Amino acid sequence: MVVLVVVDQCNMVAHMKKTPVISLKKICKSFPLEIGGFQQVLFDNTFNVMPGEFVAIMGPSGSGKSTCMNIIGALDTASSGVYELYGRDITTLSPDELAKIRNEYIGFVFQNFNLLPKRNILDNVMLPLMYRGMPISERENRAREMLKLVELEKFETYLPTQLSGGMKQRVAIARALAGDPKIILADEPTGALDSKMGNEILKFFKKLNKELGITIVMITHEFEIASYANRVIHIYDGHITYDGPIPKNESVLTKSEQKAHKK
Amino acid sequence: MTFYDIAHESWLSISGNKMRSFLTVLGIVIGIMAVVIMVAVGETVQQSITDQFSSLGTNTIMIRAGAAQSAGIRSGNRMTLTLDDAEFVGKLSDVAAVSPVENSNAQVVYGNKNWSTSMVGVYPGYATVQNIEMEYGSFFDMNAVKTAATYAVIGPDTAEELGMPKNPVGEIIRVRNTPMTVIGVTKAKGDSSMGSQDDMIIIPITTLKKRLSGSRFPNAVQMISLKLYQDADNNIVTDQITELLRSRHKLKDGTADDFQITDMKQVMETMETVSSYLTLLLVAIAAVSLLVGSIGIMNMMMVSVSERTREIGIRKAIGAQEGTIITQFLSESILISFIGSMFGLILGVGLSQGIGRFVMGYNVPFSIWPVVVSISVAIFVGLVSGVMPAIKAAKLNPIDSLRYE
Repeated sequence: MVVLVVVDQCNMVAHMKKTPVISLKKICKSFPLEIGGFQQVLFDNTFNVMPGEFVAIMGPSGSGKSTCMNIIGALDTASSGVYELYGRDITTLSPDELAKIRNEYIGFVFQNFNLLPKRNILDNVMLPLMYRGMPISERENRAREMLKLVELEKFETYLPTQLSGGMKQRVAIARALAGDPKIILADEPTGALDSKMGNEILKFFKKLNKELGITIVMITHEFEIASYANRVIHIYDGHITYDGPIPKNESVLTKSEQKAHKK
Repeated sequence: MTFYDIAHESWLSISGNKMRSFLTVLGIVIGIMAVVIMVAVGETVQQSITDQFSSLGTNTIMIRAGAAQSAGIRSGNRMTLTLDDAEFVGKLSDVAAVSPVENSNAQVVYGNKNWSTSMVGVYPGYATVQNIEMEYGSFFDMNAVKTAATYAVIGPDTAEELGMPKNPVGEIIRVRNTPMTVIGVTKAKGDSSMGSQDDMIIIPITTLKKRLSGSRFPNAVQMISLKLYQDADNNIVTDQITELLRSRHKLKDGTADDFQITDMKQVMETMETVSSYLTLLLVAIAAVSLLVGSIGIMNMMMVSVSERTREIGIRKAIGAQEGTIITQFLSESILISFIGSMFGLILGVGLSQGIGRFVMGYNVPFSIWPVVVSISVAIFVGLVSGVMPAIKAAKLNPIDSLRYE
């Protein structure tokens, strides 16, 4: 079954090679302020993410990277600009349509895992499939496959509270993969883990990307973590200051910040 | 989501917080139980009224001597009805049986025992009017009335209190020092709101008037009791009696009747109306506890939405649509309400039947409609109390929900 998934992913990648998974065109986002007026946090963000890419979106706290992730993850909509997911403009979709998009296209991995604490591991992994209306037996099989993939097949009856942080994050990855998404969106996936477990998770992401061709967008504020990706998009004060391969050292990104600041 | 998924998710959420769910369910249990018990109480009262009147017969009319009471004061001469009136009324075509009735009390002595009981002087027609059946012996006939015979028909309780043999026919009792022969014992009827018919002695009215009371007005009677044929119209007969008695009493137009007619059918209808209002009142009071219970559900669901904000955020992030979240929360509140209603129904029926029937000895009727109402109320209460929290949950912003601590 895992082989089938790989083949499926590879076919998909080949078929859609030329269509960006994510295409942001002049995306702006502003929030209303309580005292009146608006606070703009993203300015004309434009970039594409192609199938099979492993992209890190980097930036200091308050730079707008989380807002950018929310828009990419269809959790929020842009104030202006166009966001296309696999060629489909999703900028103006309703909340329910966005929920469907999230369920079918995006697999989330959160910093603090966001597993349902009173549901066992298997139930947690099955959750996105339940919302897709998949029959129970099929759902269970798929969830077990994913747990096997993250090497947690023996823990399916465990509650999240009975697992270590690393294991929890692997469950979250299994849940994200269960729905066969077009993209994995990881928000500071190692933020709640120690460095050993963090590295383990990042290696796993790398493996998923390399071996299964899964597109991964990872949000982080640490250069070391971003260096696991193939490409980095650096956001500073809502502006993209760098978009390219992983630089040899972080100073390149810092310089890009200073350059943007002068502008 | 399939029906199984919805039910499974609801059950997991409810069972995940057992104590709170139990207390919330308890509110509905008490509410439904109170409604079911109050309905049972009301129906028992109605049933009891119907039973009592059916033992008497609703085609019974009573005529009392004296004008109607006004502000509690009975005006006019009370000696307005006579034995002749009774006989004339008895000749009306719709009257099946008639009897003048004179109520009194008596100290009855049998051997070395004595017992104070009510005594009634009547015609033989009284047995038909009151649906009296005999356990032993027979009722006296008109001949006994004419001769003022010292015959007595006694109730089974009276016979027991006097320590008489099982079949006391032929035994002599002394009533106000007059020896009387027991010629019959009535069948037990049970107590009624109009007094016990099992503890009384029934004697010819002439015997009471002439031998026991020594009345100065041997022809006057307190009351005339009559029974109509089944197909008779009580209102028509009442009008006929009024016309007949006014004519016999030579009452002029404009003067008030010197008698009162009580139609037992009307009395029963009035009492049934009163008892149905009483039932309604009891149910309304019980419904308040149901309302409190449903507010309990709403409160729990509101707290639940707040507590599970993050969970809602997770569910929305991985694809739950607003409708799915609404369905989930509504099904939780309906499930709580349904569980509460079923337990309330079982307890309500169990307690009303158990205590009412077996402890208090009432014939508690079992109706299907509290069952139907309970299920309907369960769904309705669940929906109403769940709808606001469900909408609140569905409208939560997934980004804010995921950040919720």
